[in-house]
Amino acid sequence: MKRAAAACCLLAASVLPAAAQSGAGRVEVSVGGGLLGGAGVGSASADLRTNEPGRKPFPLFSAASRIARGRALHARALVPLSARVAVEGGLTVSHPDLVTSVSLDAEGAPPLTVTERIDQYVIDAGVRVMLDGLRLGASLTPFVAAGAGYLRQLHEGQTVIEHGQAYYAGGGLTYPLLGRDRGFVRAAGLRADARVYLMRGGVAFGDRPRPHAAVSGGAFIGF
Amino acid sequence: MKPVVLALLAALAFSQPLHAYLHFTGLRAGKPVAITWERAPVRWFATDRGVPGVSPSDFQAAMARAFSVWEAVPTASIAFQFAGFSGAEPFEDDGVSVVGFQDEPDLDRVLGATGFLIDTVTGEIVEADIFFNSTFPWSTAAGGDPDRFDLESVAVHEAWHFLGLGHSALGETEPRPDGGRRVLASGAVMFPISFGRGVTHDRELQPDDVAGVSALYPDGGFRAETGVARGRVTRNGAGVRGAHVVAYSQQTGRLVGGFTLNDGGEFEIAGLSPGAHVIRVEPLDDADVDSFFSARSPIDLDFQVTFHPRLFAAPRGGTGEPFTVAVRPK
Repeated sequence: MKRAAAACCLLAASVLPAAAQSGAGRVEVSVGGGLLGGAGVGSASADLRTNEPGRKPFPLFSAASRIARGRALHARALVPLSARVAVEGGLTVSHPDLVTSVSLDAEGAPPLTVTERIDQYVIDAGVRVMLDGLRLGASLTPFVAAGAGYLRQLHEGQTVIEHGQAYYAGGGLTYPLLGRDRGFVRAAGLRADARVYLMRGGVAFGDRPRPHAAVSGGAFIGF
Repeated sequence: MKPVVLALLAALAFSQPLHAYLHFTGLRAGKPVAITWERAPVRWFATDRGVPGVSPSDFQAAMARAFSVWEAVPTASIAFQFAGFSGAEPFEDDGVSVVGFQDEPDLDRVLGATGFLIDTVTGEIVEADIFFNSTFPWSTAAGGDPDRFDLESVAVHEAWHFLGLGHSALGETEPRPDGGRRVLASGAVMFPISFGRGVTHDRELQPDDVAGVSALYPDGGFRAETGVARGRVTRNGAGVRGAHVVAYSQQTGRLVGGFTLNDGGEFEIAGLSPGAHVIRVEPLDDADVDSFFSARSPIDLDFQVTFHPRLFAAPRGGTGEPFTVAVRPK
């Protein structure tokens, strides 16, 4: 299921129209939306102590949880360091479901999926490198990007905040619609990203990083 | 091996549940209040009589360790003090709290029991006594004795009653061929039926125990750092009385239980770690009902084990959104 989602993301990124490189500019901001893939956050059993001298647990029931795939909105700001290298920071907002599958109840309760909606925010910063040498056609320019950030998740009702870290790596394409050397707006275009986030902490039931595939598209303006 | 129950004798005669964990209640100005010790440290005496395999000093040491288990709960404020050996017996209603062995062969399913003397004006516990039934074989061996019951484990259980608290229903049992029930597993030292001989697990508290004692004697930021679940259990729209409600945090592995305590099916579970919880509701059929509720409070056992279809998010230092769990008849 996860592999299928990742494949769709890459496909979506690759079907954008061909064009040339991103327009020149000092500061670039972009907004857009996409899909943030789901990932397992851990499984465990609700254990009781057995009536035996050893420490073998007695599972009352089992629970396996994942964060479901969901739509995400993002906003990013980018500052060029050179013609090809830039630093960028962004905010990604999503509202995925935390889904827990309950099974193997000791008293035979039927398996059930229970859910909770969470608010998820990723604030990240990283580096983007334009791959001008791999330009596709006249305007479509690929790039790679990587960075790290802060993961903030709020449980339903926004009464509990979970903190974590997010690391990402990926790439994408830019397609300029406007590029000029003067004026308040010096560049504008479209941008598509495909990323893999490694998220650690938050609502996870363990310390192991979990991969989330993500695909997004949006528009940028350079000033 | 006989089925053995960890019972409260005198306490059940006047107890009624107030909140989850079945805090015992007395009446103050005509209103039910949780009974508690108001002054610390709570002084206790030990009888100067041992049983085969347990000397008086072994007994006193095991009791002191049992009380210290409760004292060590960081989110509860309790202190005990050993006041010395005594020739007094438990249950003498003399204002002195005494723990000791007594030979009660007629109570062939009772390992130990706790009774109280209460100030009915203030709700304060004036005296609490614990007896251990010397009809049974006892051990204080560090690793347990496969042929004897572990005194320290049972003492930890009775020390909880000594504090004014009732039983937890967090456990699973099976019927015994000779009547009664055998424990398969439990999630609380305060489950009313003891583990078997040689099992020493109940020397250590479980999260349900910690939550219960912290709710009655809160300290160390308990209320600020933990959350409360509040809701109802209904069947065909009507409240279910006496349902056992358990909250499970997959993040911490903690299981904490409570009960619906009125005809409206209302429950409240305090001491939950902040975050998402699975809520499970079951009938109170793993032990004798009178281990939890008096006969004056009939409860509903005719419903299926049910999970609430939503995860419950326990806040840090507050009460989460109330919810209703609808159960179906068996």
